[in-house]
Amino acid sequence: MCARCLEVTRRSLLLGGGAAAATLHTGVANARIRPQDMVPLVGPGYKPTERDEIGIWQLMERAEEEIAGSNLLIQDPKLTGYLQNLIGTVGGPAARDFRIYLARIPEFNAMMFPSGFAIVFSGLLLRMRDEAQLAGVIAHEAGHFLRRHMIRSWRDQKRKTDLFSIGAMLAGVGGAGAGVYLGDYVQLAQLGTILSLFQYSRQMEAEADAMGIRNLAAAGYDPMAMSTIWQQLIGEENASARYRGKHRRKGSIFDTHPSEGSRMVDLKADALELTVPGKVYDRHRERYLSTIGSIRPTLLDDQVKLNDPGASQYLIETLAQDGWNGLLRFYEGEVWRLRNRAGDEARAAQSYAAAVAYPDAPADAWRWHGIALMKQGRSGEAKGAFARYLQMKPDAPDAAWVRQMAG
Amino acid sequence: MRKSSLAVAAAASAALSACVQTRQFADVQFTLPSGAYKLLVLRPDVTVGSIATGGMVEPRADWTEQARTSIVQALRAQQSALGGNVTIIEHRDQLPGVTAQELADVERLNFAVDQSIVDAKYLGNSLPTKRGRGLDWTLGPDAVRLGQKTGYDYALFLHAEDQVASKGRVALGLLGLAGCFIGFCAPNVGGQQQLDYASLVDLKTGQVVWFNVVTAGSQVPGIKFGDLRTPQGAAQMVERLLGRMKPGRDVRRQLQAR
Repeated sequence: MCARCLEVTRRSLLLGGGAAAATLHTGVANARIRPQDMVPLVGPGYKPTERDEIGIWQLMERAEEEIAGSNLLIQDPKLTGYLQNLIGTVGGPAARDFRIYLARIPEFNAMMFPSGFAIVFSGLLLRMRDEAQLAGVIAHEAGHFLRRHMIRSWRDQKRKTDLFSIGAMLAGVGGAGAGVYLGDYVQLAQLGTILSLFQYSRQMEAEADAMGIRNLAAAGYDPMAMSTIWQQLIGEENASARYRGKHRRKGSIFDTHPSEGSRMVDLKADALELTVPGKVYDRHRERYLSTIGSIRPTLLDDQVKLNDPGASQYLIETLAQDGWNGLLRFYEGEVWRLRNRAGDEARAAQSYAAAVAYPDAPADAWRWHGIALMKQGRSGEAKGAFARYLQMKPDAPDAAWVRQMAG
Repeated sequence: MRKSSLAVAAAASAALSACVQTRQFADVQFTLPSGAYKLLVLRPDVTVGSIATGGMVEPRADWTEQARTSIVQALRAQQSALGGNVTIIEHRDQLPGVTAQELADVERLNFAVDQSIVDAKYLGNSLPTKRGRGLDWTLGPDAVRLGQKTGYDYALFLHAEDQVASKGRVALGLLGLAGCFIGFCAPNVGGQQQLDYASLVDLKTGQVVWFNVVTAGSQVPGIKFGDLRTPQGAAQMVERLLGRMKPGRDVRRQLQAR
C-alpha cells in the first residue's frame, strides 16, 4: 500500500499479545481481598453530591418506583419485613437506608442498585438452608453499596472508554500522518480495555464478598456460612450439567464475577480469620424455615417446573440434609414424574408413598399417591388417598373428578 | 489538493448525516381532537444525558429537570392553542379517585402495547392480521375505566430522551475530521441522539388512536437539531411530535370526497 510503511511485525504483535495475556492471567487469579481492609465508603443517610452520581440516582428513582409496584414482587409483609430486618442487621453504616424487594423468579440471584435498593430472587430463598446463609448473600449485596461499586465501576468504564477512544483516534490520525498502520495495536488495545473492564468487575465482586463477610461476622453470624453457599451452587451446577451431558462452565477472562470456586476458597480463608474461637454460632435455621414456610411449596413448585431435573434433584437432596419431610419427598416425586423417563413413574410413586407418611405431606401428595396406587391396581388404598386429598382440599378445582375416581 | 477536496466532501456528507425522521400512524377512524376536549398527560418520561468522549452516556439530573420543565410548558402552550383542556401529572398519586397502582397498571400496559406497535409498525415485523387496518391496538377496559373515573377524553403518553455530545466527544469528532486531511477520515464517531414518541389513547373506547415516533441523530458530534433543555428546543420537539397530527385514512378519504 505504501512504501514507507513501518510494518507491524509479527514479532511485535506476538510480544504485545504475550504481554496482554500475562495481564489477563493475573486478572483471573486475583489476590484475596482481606475483610479487615474493607472499610465502608458511605455513612448513614448517604446522598450523592457529584454530578454523575446525582444523574444515576435520579434514573434509579424511577426504576425503583417501577420495581416497587411490580406484580412480580411477593408482597407478604412477614417475608419482606424479615428481609428488611436482615439487611438492617448486616448492612453496616447504611443499614437503615436500604430498601429490599422480593421478586418471584426461580433463580439463584440477588442484586443491589446504585441508590441503595436491593432485589432478592425467590430462588435464593429456596436454596438457602438457614438464616446465616441468607444474611451472607444480603451482606454481599450491601457490600456493593457500602463500597460505592456502581459509581466506581461506571467511572472506571467511562475513563477507560474515553482513553481508548482518544488513543485509537490518535493512533489512526498520527499513524496516517507518519504513514504507519497501527490498526492491529488498536485492536489489541480494545481487547485490553474490554478485559480490564471485566477484571475491574471481578475485583468489585471480591470486595463485596470481603465487605459482606466482615459485616456478617460483626452481626454475630457464622462467617463460614458464606463459603458453603458457593459449595452448594457448584454442586447444583455440576448436577445440572451432568444430567444434560455437559460440563459446568468454569471461569474465563470474560466473566463479570470471580469463579465460584475461587470465591468459595477466599471466603473460607476469610471465615477462618473472622471466626471467634470458642464461640458457638446459631445459624437460625428454625427461624428461617418458619419464616419462609408459607412460600416454600411455591418455591419448590417453581423450581421443579424449570425442567432442570439435575438441579432440582440436587437442591431437594441438599435441603433434605437437614431432614426429609413430606413437602420435600412430594417434590422429589414431582421431579421424577415430570422427567418421565423409563422407571421414573415407579420412582415417583415411591416418593409420593414416602411423602404421605409424614404429617406435613401436602394435599397434592395424597392425590398423586392415589393415582399411583390406582395404576398399580390397588384401588381400595387409592380411594383412601383420594378421600384424604378431598378432605384436605375440598374446593380443589379437580374435586369432582377425584370424587368420581374415588367412587 | 485532492486530499483537501476529499475532506470537504467528507465534511459535507457528514453534515448531511444529521437528520430528523418522523413517522406517524393513526386509527383509520381517527379524527383530530377538537372542541373543549379534556386531555390527560401521564408523567412525561424525559431523560437527558451527556455522551462522554468514549461514548458512555452520563445521565444528567439537572438537564433532565430543565428539559422536563421546558417540555411541559411547550405541551401546555401547544394544546391550549388547539382549545384542549390539559392536565399534566408528574406523579402517580396526583390523580383524584385513582390509586397509584391503577395508574401504574395502565402505564405498564401502555408501555407493552407501545412496544408492540413499534415492533410491528417501525421495525418491520408486520402482523398479517393488522395489514391495511391503520393503527389497530387497544388498552381495553382498563383505559375505559380510567376515563369513566376521571372524566378525561384522551390520555397522552410521552417519552423523550436526548443525549448531548460532551466537549470531549466533539473534540474527538474534530480530531477525526482533521484526520481527513491526512488520510485517516473518521468524523462520524456519533453525536447527539434524540428519540421521542407519543401515543394518544381514546379513553371512551380504550383504543390507541394515534402514535408517532421522532428520531433525530447526528453522526458528527457538535451538530445540534433542537436542544430539549431550552424552551425553543422543547417547543420544536413538541411541534415535530404532536404538531402535525393527521386524521385516520377513512376520515381523510371522506374529507377528500367532499
